[in-house]
Amino acid sequence: MNTGDSLQKKNNLTGWAFISLAVIGIVAFYFYPMLQALLLSFKSGVGANLEFTGLDNYKRLFIDTTFRTAVSNTFLYLIIQVPVMIILGLFISVLLNDSTLRFRSFFRTAIFLPCVTSLVAYSVVFKYLFSSDGMVNQFLMNLHVIAEPIQWITDPFWAKITIIIAVTWRWTGYNMIFYLSSLQNIDQSIYEAARIDGANAFTQFFKITVPLLKPIILFTSITSTIGTLQIFDEIMNITKGGPGNATMSISQYIYNLSFKYSPDFGYAATVSYSIVLMIIVLSIIQFKVAGERNG
Amino acid sequence: MWVLMLVTVLLLSACSSGGGGNKASEGEKTANEITIWAWDKAFNVAALETAKEAYQKQNPDLKINIIEYAQADIIQKLNTGLNSGTSSGLPNIVLIEDYRAQSFLNAYPDAFKDMSSTIKASDFAEYKLGPTAFDGKQFGVPFDSGVTGLYYRTDLLEQAGYKAADLQDITWDDYIKIGKDVKAKTGKDLITLDPNDLGLIRMMIQSAGSWYSKEDGKTPDLAGNAALKEAFVTYKAMMDANIVKLNSDWSQFVAAFNNGDVATIPTGNWITPSVRQEASQSGKWAVAPLPKMAGQSNSVHASNLGGSSWYVMNNVAGADQAADFMGKTFGSDKQLYQDLLNNIGAIGTYKPAAEGEAFDKADEFFGGQKVFADFAKWTQEIPSVNYGINTYAIEDILVVEMQNFLNGKAIDDVLADAQKQAEAQLN
Repeated sequence: MNTGDSLQKKNNLTGWAFISLAVIGIVAFYFYPMLQALLLSFKSGVGANLEFTGLDNYKRLFIDTTFRTAVSNTFLYLIIQVPVMIILGLFISVLLNDSTLRFRSFFRTAIFLPCVTSLVAYSVVFKYLFSSDGMVNQFLMNLHVIAEPIQWITDPFWAKITIIIAVTWRWTGYNMIFYLSSLQNIDQSIYEAARIDGANAFTQFFKITVPLLKPIILFTSITSTIGTLQIFDEIMNITKGGPGNATMSISQYIYNLSFKYSPDFGYAATVSYSIVLMIIVLSIIQFKVAGERNG
Repeated sequence: MWVLMLVTVLLLSACSSGGGGNKASEGEKTANEITIWAWDKAFNVAALETAKEAYQKQNPDLKINIIEYAQADIIQKLNTGLNSGTSSGLPNIVLIEDYRAQSFLNAYPDAFKDMSSTIKASDFAEYKLGPTAFDGKQFGVPFDSGVTGLYYRTDLLEQAGYKAADLQDITWDDYIKIGKDVKAKTGKDLITLDPNDLGLIRMMIQSAGSWYSKEDGKTPDLAGNAALKEAFVTYKAMMDANIVKLNSDWSQFVAAFNNGDVATIPTGNWITPSVRQEASQSGKWAVAPLPKMAGQSNSVHASNLGGSSWYVMNNVAGADQAADFMGKTFGSDKQLYQDLLNNIGAIGTYKPAAEGEAFDKADEFFGGQKVFADFAKWTQEIPSVNYGINTYAIEDILVVEMQNFLNGKAIDDVLADAQKQAEAQLN
């Protein structure tokens, strides 16, 4: 017996005591439901009458055309949304990082402000802005850009565009804040040296800013990917997935399976796990592509 | 580490047993108060308030809480509550739409109270009994009639050369022809539709005694369904005739007729309060019988859209009192139904109350027409169909196929593909 050991032990116990509450919380509210959902995904039936059906739900995924539509819509949002948000966010953050710009904090606040608005509230506002006799159409018609109102919400093509515009408005500022904060960590002397070597703004952006921001770009692209794969509020509130499933996302399909149709919670859980799988795969790919040296 | 896990497990089990045990009153049949969930303040909630007042005259001791939620919220809360296996947090009485009733009765067979002995099912309109009964037992207390009519603007139709008599016994094809004239003469559209909502199709096929699924309520009946096929073709004809103003939700739907942008609304009678909302149009509206389907010999001028009924929850304290409340109000009180008409304009489906002074009232908003008497008459003609458990799931498939059809896909392929999908997806 020596005092060093028991002190070590005591420290250990204190440490565990401190984190125990968090651990209990995480186990109870994250891991336990996740495990239950996994079990649920092997069951099928209406409402509470569930029985084990093995992999049936997973087989059903492959013949389910609505699921396929939901996945392809979600990926369309992903393919357009994530690059647009990242490039736009980068571009704006570099502009706003310019110390000679006046009213900088006003612009920063203005662009970040959408991120603190409620998802539902802004969706409802967008719905009315883009309705067939809404402000956007009236504006475009007054400018004589269009002769007839665009059916933003009831046309399959324009409905997708509306969702993309809405999501871009809501989330670009969120990514911008990450870029701004890490831009401020870049030593200005690097840019100074580059300027002396004759690099123009364009070269500086691509050779200095982007490489130095790479970890943060990776981070935002992963969070944006996860966010887009789970997109729900905008679609639920602006188009309800329509017209004719044209904007339906995977999350909305899960909602429909659970609450709109005869509830099939087992299959809904299966569809949820398909999102989990997609997120894991996409995140691994992004790590491999962008972060090989960090990894 | 192990101690920690043990603690975790113990705490977890304590949590779960606590959740089940803290509601000591669970399963007991009496309580001092009962709770009711319903949607639509102007209609269902107002009806409940009227019933509550009537009931409390005789039974002043029971406290009755009426809570208004949106229909989607009620469905969500009910589903999550019933699935969790505990009845705490659930109401005593809940309003459920008839289209969804079978799905709830199937999914949670023990959750609802058998009302067979509390109310006399044969007192209610025939078409309401299919959706509200399950396994030979009467669970729902049938309430509002979704009886449909063709609301129309007399002034606009007159400009196009039509009188009330011209709308009395028409088919949907005649309706489209009228629409073209209205458009040509007044520039107004005939109807407003939400491409995500096939309510018009539902009204059409029920008027011919047909539905999305077969008699058993489970087997999809799309590919060989003559009524459905004709309904689809009619819908497309309307779109092609350029007489439809598209809307994307309820408020735009209401705005379309309140603004005077459309000349008619074929829909359920529950739209009346929303039509009245625009007082400046008083005297300009009338209601004609719903058009029928030209190609379906059994199609009548009456149908149903929406409509809902009351359900008593079995395992919530106060179940017996809740059943008593329902039995003595919506289940038997003729005067209540008169009050509902006078105060709210809510048409019930309780047959013994289908006449009386309230039905005989000429309505100035509708140009002196006795609209309640007309609706009551049409209510009796509504063909009975089994909505089954998959109405909304099938409709979501049909909404997509309808878009394909409008874009030029052949109708037989449209319905065959819908059938295939429904069979693959529904259990």
